[in-house]
Amino acid sequence: MSERQHEHSHSDHAPIADAGGMPGYYEIMETAVRELLVEKHVIGADEIRRMLEVMDSRNPALGARLVARAWVDPEFKARLLANGRAACEEFGISFFEDTQLVVLENTDEVHNLLVCTLCSCYPREILGLPPDWYKQKPYRARAVTEPRAVLAEMGTVIPDDLEIRVSDSTAMLRYLVLPQRPPNTEDFSEDELAALVTRDVMIGVARISPPKKRGRRT
Amino acid sequence: MTETANLLRRLPTEMGGLEAGKVERVEHEYLPWEKRCHALANILDMHKIVSTEEKRRGVESLGAEMVGKLTYYERWIAAFANILFQKRILAPEELARKMEEVEARWASELAKIAPAGSASTRS
Repeated sequence: MSERQHEHSHSDHAPIADAGGMPGYYEIMETAVRELLVEKHVIGADEIRRMLEVMDSRNPALGARLVARAWVDPEFKARLLANGRAACEEFGISFFEDTQLVVLENTDEVHNLLVCTLCSCYPREILGLPPDWYKQKPYRARAVTEPRAVLAEMGTVIPDDLEIRVSDSTAMLRYLVLPQRPPNTEDFSEDELAALVTRDVMIGVARISPPKKRGRRT
Repeated sequence: MTETANLLRRLPTEMGGLEAGKVERVEHEYLPWEKRCHALANILDMHKIVSTEEKRRGVESLGAEMVGKLTYYERWIAAFANILFQKRILAPEELARKMEEVEARWASELAKIAPAGSASTRS
């Protein structure tokens, strides 16, 4: 990467004049490691930039489209539940890492919740990068032992008769929650369905609030 | 369980079941260098140079103090550097030299846009 490009990638997002000076020690280390790896042809000069573009295309809206597809296409849903990664790849979602994906379906009996107690494993290929609270101690420590209390703190009250099943992700195995299709959505288009699905719903820390019944559409 | 036995049984990053405070819904926009660090992780995994599992172990082996005090991506880049040293892909000295070069380049870029002496270090 040339010095010019390097400079450009910073000024695009974080004007160095405003930021008030030198990058920190570890940011300098990141630049140095990356440039050395490129110089040694361990990685290609363009690979980081291209990967950043791919990463930017992964966000909760993509996961929401996946969920909506599963709701409208029972055969796709069956494939998604049988082999999450294969179904995602069929849907056009490639994986960067050597990981498997298990899609967990919420039912009338079970509410699923995702956590990574060991680090910060997360279905990044589908949802993008995780929120900070997912990576911090309180959520990671307590989600496995008192999920109901944790969810209540986050504004999600799960009825006592609904089992909460917590899945602890690993480097090799990631999860995604498939929420239930809410009532009153029979005449929703796939896009309208996707608009109901948020990141937190696919982590399991929130539930979809069912839309109000609406009149006949014209 | 004695305190020293727990030190062996529980890795510094292992949080499940520990006492902890309320979940605060904190989120921040990822900084450009943090995203680049993440992209680097993905690329290194794709090339089978550093797996996700090795990265996690690399962070753990930084020790409890660094795990506690460094930010998330500071831990990652420190772990990558160590792993790349161990695999003899990079040498500590050459990284040190490269970091000096990068720092000097920044200083000279900054000198062009800001009056001398006004630069401060970003945290």
